[in-house]
Amino acid sequence: MNNLSGPVSELLVILRHAPHGSSWLREGLDAALVAAAFGRRVSLLFMGEGVTALCRHQGPGPLGQKGTAATLEMLEMYDIDSLWVEMAALERLGLYTEDLMLPTQPVSSDQLAAMVAAAPLVLTF
Amino acid sequence: MRYAILLLGAPYSSQASHSALRFAQALVARGHRLEAVFFYHDGVQNAARLMSPPQDEPHLADVWRRLHAEHSVALLVCIATALRRGLLDEKEAARHGKLGHSVAAPFELTGLGQLIDLGLSCDRLVTFAP
Amino acid sequence: MKLHILNRSPAVSGVYRQALDAMSPDDLLLLIEDAVLGGAPGLVDYFDEVAGRVYALREDLEARGLAGRLDASIQVIDIDGFVDLTERSKQSVSWF
Repeated sequence: MNNLSGPVSELLVILRHAPHGSSWLREGLDAALVAAAFGRRVSLLFMGEGVTALCRHQGPGPLGQKGTAATLEMLEMYDIDSLWVEMAALERLGLYTEDLMLPTQPVSSDQLAAMVAAAPLVLTF
Repeated sequence: MRYAILLLGAPYSSQASHSALRFAQALVARGHRLEAVFFYHDGVQNAARLMSPPQDEPHLADVWRRLHAEHSVALLVCIATALRRGLLDEKEAARHGKLGHSVAAPFELTGLGQLIDLGLSCDRLVTFAP
Repeated sequence: MKLHILNRSPAVSGVYRQALDAMSPDDLLLLIEDAVLGGAPGLVDYFDEVAGRVYALREDLEARGLAGRLDASIQVIDIDGFVDLTERSKQSVSWF
């Protein structure tokens, strides 16, 4: 992954959980958004089941829980423009980047390790 | 070095709080500075004012309070997460028209921005989760 | 060099795989809480690709009655050793 045109990110937030099943995704996104709102350069890596956070056509939860799809649509506004998805996870789930609601860049496991190594701060959710 | 701890686990339900406390005690004993503990996700439950474990078990909130008293460790609780889970200090309780409150000093309700600040300004941020 | 902290046994949760995927060749792995079970001779193979770079927290082993029962390749350390690892590494990443 050699596309670091622009400032290197200060914070890498790794999102490993799917929407609705737990609050981890929402909480991780909130942390990323707050950092971006404070002017930090944030990269988001969707790993494992976290890749499903980006599936199109998500709905509210059975009891009307908001979910995170609307928040994700705000990412561009917050200047979080580095969205990475774990390729192997997409494959396991039968998803392609075209199925996702936002433009993303796929990463291999080697690239993933390199991202983690390079980030000054990593938060996992 | 300046440390911060991110605690994501509820007291007693998982080992997260215990591990975090042990680590906190060990790092101050080694002469490091623990700036703050940030409670997020289920970790906000550590601030429960009415926590009442049996006498023969560690009182986790009391151990956190002692860390604050003896080493000036800030105890920061994510306000949005806390409110959802019924953890309100006097000010929030009044704002929401609730009788009684469930969070008191030295635990402070605060925004997520504090977590980001801690993570980026401290030398080390260690996360304990369920 | 970063320290990766795992708290779930590889036999019950797949998160160990994500920790391993995220590790660089000089990164270290610390097993705490239930993850110390992963150091048992019958489970240690889960960590083959990071052999020699895996630590386990002594007090979690002792609490579970497993002191002295881990595979010899796992380096058992106490809580001070844990603090020491965090001093030596640039930062830690927790996997849960």
